Amino acid sequence: MRAGHFNEIWQRLRVLFKPKQLDRDLEDEVAFHLAMREHKNHAQGMDEREAGYAARRQFGNSTAVKERTREMWILTSLETLRRDFTYALRTLTKKPGFTAVAIVTLALGIGASTAIFSVIENVLLEPFPYPDAKRFMTVEIHDASRGESAGRAEYSAPEYLDYIEKNHVFDLAIADASEEVLYNVGEGVERLHGVLVTPNTFEFFGLPALRGRVLQPADYEPGAPPVFILRYKTWMANFAGDPGALNKTFVLNGVARTLVGIMPPRFGWGDGDVFIPVKPTRSETPVIPGEFPPVWYLMGHLKLGVSVQQAHADLTVVANQLAKVYPKSYPEHFVVKIVSATDMVVGHFRATLYLTLGAVALLLLISCANLANLLLARATTREKEFAIRAALGAGRWRLIRQLMVESLILSFCGGVLGIALAAVGLNSIVAMMPQVTIPAETEISLNLPVLAFALAVAMLTPLIFGLIPALRATRDDLEKPLRESGKGTSGSARQGHLRDAVIVCEVALSFTLLVGAGLLMRSFVALCGVNLGLRPDHVLVSRLPLPSERYKTAAQVTSFFRPLLTRVKTLPGVLDAAESSAFPPYGGFLSEIEIPGKVHRDKWNALFQLCSEGYFSVLRIELKEGRTFDAAEVNDARKVAVVNKTFAHRYFGNENPIGQRVRFSDLENFPDRVPDPWFEIVGVVADALNQGLQEPPQPEAWLPYTVSGSGQRGILVRTSNDPMMLMDSVRREVWATDRSVALTYTGSMENFINSQSFAGPRFGFVLMSAFAAVGLLLVSIGVYSVVAYATARRTHEIGIRMALGATRADALKLVLGTGMRIIGLGVGIGLAASLALSHLLASQLWQVSVHDPATIACVAALLLTTGALACWLPARRATGIEPTLALRHE
Amino acid sequence: MPEKKAQPTELLQGTLDLLILKSLQSGPMHGYGVAEWIHECSQDVLRVEEGALYPALHRLELRGLLSAQWGMSDNNRRAKFYALTAAGRKQLAQETDYWQRMSGAVARILQTA
Repeated sequence: MRAGHFNEIWQRLRVLFKPKQLDRDLEDEVAFHLAMREHKNHAQGMDEREAGYAARRQFGNSTAVKERTREMWILTSLETLRRDFTYALRTLTKKPGFTAVAIVTLALGIGASTAIFSVIENVLLEPFPYPDAKRFMTVEIHDASRGESAGRAEYSAPEYLDYIEKNHVFDLAIADASEEVLYNVGEGVERLHGVLVTPNTFEFFGLPALRGRVLQPADYEPGAPPVFILRYKTWMANFAGDPGALNKTFVLNGVARTLVGIMPPRFGWGDGDVFIPVKPTRSETPVIPGEFPPVWYLMGHLKLGVSVQQAHADLTVVANQLAKVYPKSYPEHFVVKIVSATDMVVGHFRATLYLTLGAVALLLLISCANLANLLLARATTREKEFAIRAALGAGRWRLIRQLMVESLILSFCGGVLGIALAAVGLNSIVAMMPQVTIPAETEISLNLPVLAFALAVAMLTPLIFGLIPALRATRDDLEKPLRESGKGTSGSARQGHLRDAVIVCEVALSFTLLVGAGLLMRSFVALCGVNLGLRPDHVLVSRLPLPSERYKTAAQVTSFFRPLLTRVKTLPGVLDAAESSAFPPYGGFLSEIEIPGKVHRDKWNALFQLCSEGYFSVLRIELKEGRTFDAAEVNDARKVAVVNKTFAHRYFGNENPIGQRVRFSDLENFPDRVPDPWFEIVGVVADALNQGLQEPPQPEAWLPYTVSGSGQRGILVRTSNDPMMLMDSVRREVWATDRSVALTYTGSMENFINSQSFAGPRFGFVLMSAFAAVGLLLVSIGVYSVVAYATARRTHEIGIRMALGATRADALKLVLGTGMRIIGLGVGIGLAASLALSHLLASQLWQVSVHDPATIACVAALLLTTGALACWLPARRATGIEPTLALRHE
Repeated sequence: MPEKKAQPTELLQGTLDLLILKSLQSGPMHGYGVAEWIHECSQDVLRVEEGALYPALHRLELRGLLSAQWGMSDNNRRAKFYALTAAGRKQLAQETDYWQRMSGAVARILQTA
């Protein structure tokens, strides 16, 4: 019987999905009839042709018959579907709360998991478009005596050549170096990010050019016609995608170069705009005369069958040989690290993303648990409805079909909303994501397999849990649910335990999420409260790369900045302005130092900046001892220095540093070298952060910028109003001073610090908080629905108790007690879980303990309060029960 | 779903439906068989256009009064066989009863004239 029904429905639905089948069947049926009739006519004496004609005549218009029949099938099928859908919609809209909660729960599960999985897939698993990017490895040299972050991945040209020659693990190795590229366009100067690339670079990446060609071995040879390759994004931005730009010649940093190729959209190694061929040589001549020789980032492609461990062993041997050749470049005790390209670029972001993934997995679990619980609770209340309908003769199949349609509507709405949420969520995540942490090549888009998986899970959950009532209702003992509710007992105990267990899990999961979010928030707040040691507000910064062919010496650089500073200082709204070679919270050059009379085994070094006298007043850095240098000393390029407290403390202890002399050895190696670089300390200033926000300040010194013409420079301007409002007038003054200078990284210092230093931690904490908030919401809904349901089932029992003399307070205690026991248990398990899992969070925290008692206490209080509130609403209803009414109930 | 019996256009259709149900009372048959049965039993008085039989058969199938199955005919051709369902049997009984009362009443009225 059931099979028959199933067959019938299937046949009807099949018409909608396979209309061809229906046509074929009709065709066959009519043909059979005609053949039979023709056969009979023939047997009755007609000749063959006459028999066929007669058969068709007797049949009538066969096309019209088939047409009518087909229409009938299709209309009936649609009608059946429509009836099921209207009934399901009516049922669902009768309980709008349940429906909305179920749909939103589904959508959140699908949306959040898809969005985060997409980010992880695109950022961590496949960030690069290059065919064999998984085998790209960098070699890093770490000082064993210092922390994790103290290492280098860059090498001088001879070192790079040595690594290529001596290693046995890379089948191809390349290097790249950054270079600021200035080129003249129309009225001003554009600045591009140039990447110098070594021979084999394009063979290494294996991507063909979009237009033109990639670099060939001949392009790297000395004396070859100068060429360059353009990035797609830059081609679009600067040439509006004009193919005519190809094979034209542009003057880049004073060299006329021909554009020979444009790369496909996702190529962006080193985040370069233009790629310039350079063949590193052992003589290590600077690429641009008068500049520092480039530092090369080494990247090798592991040979097939070579493991990272083998590469590590091999390169450790090579590094130990080279440490003897270049003793200055290697710390006394060092370790070699082999880091994959992906890890190098997104390494520090990985933890945040995996943490988020964990949070999303928890959220998805809560969503599904909640949905299952909602459906189970609803199923139980509908058991009677189904029992009655089954008793009245509704077939098992009919009930199942109706529930299936209901579940499908829920899944469909949840799915559509989920996809929308995923798209919106992904966009917000991408917008909020700290850009510096993601490789330039990475494209983040919705991951379709993941979306399909989430949709499938979301579809199955309501289908499985939604069908339970139909299956239960159509079991053999139809009348059992009817008997049960008549007695007013609280349903089958087994199902009750299942629901309670689900809530306990939800509360525990939510607790873990909330603790994570709380700790990240505390960490972020600590970071926001960090003392920079200077005032970043109302400061405009701008880096000013000077055309190197005309600005090589200290005198040339001074001839630009001295008039510029005078002009800028006279602008209305400007309080003060200064030249600087580095921008906070980062210090400048690192140099080995010497102090007369001090003997020490390890190397002493300090950061130093080249600045003008206004630096300290622009940044409001407090003077502690002595004085800062004055305008005359800067003008005369006197060898005086101001140091920070850490410098004074570390190298002079309790001695007075004023008047002492320090030698900054590295100044001797500057392209515009400073002979005999001994400086007299004239003052000590307060510590300002110079290694980013999360690291303690290092010893640092400030020297007059007029002593050398080398290194990058920029200006700092203190303004009385919003610094962004002065951008245009400052740009005008820069160009009035020299038309060929480009302004880069121009903006308010506060914004730069925000985007560089706060974006990462903020991302982690906002994302985690969003998940925790959603989780808490879902848990409250879950607790509420379960307690409300249980209370409704116990109306009868409560009525009896009250009739027997129980007070309202007793009833309240009964309901609240049941709910709070579950929540309490959940909080307990959650506490244990978060203590066990907290080490996962440790790397993401700053100045907050992973077991921060305040956070844990707050979270516990929050969950208990929310839980109590969710129980309180149904409990209050229970205490309002009139005993007489309750006894008559049902 | 309640049947709309009162409409005059339905009457003829209802007649055809009744004949079809009746033809299948003694066992499953394909459409051609039903047509032949009607011809023979009515001694060609009811000359149904044979094509009109098929929409009626399919309609009865969709209403669940008939079930249909593809099988092999006597001469080994693929043919669709119709059979009465339980609902179909019930419907046949009701319709037969209705027709007998109706035709009896009409006959009595005609005789009294």
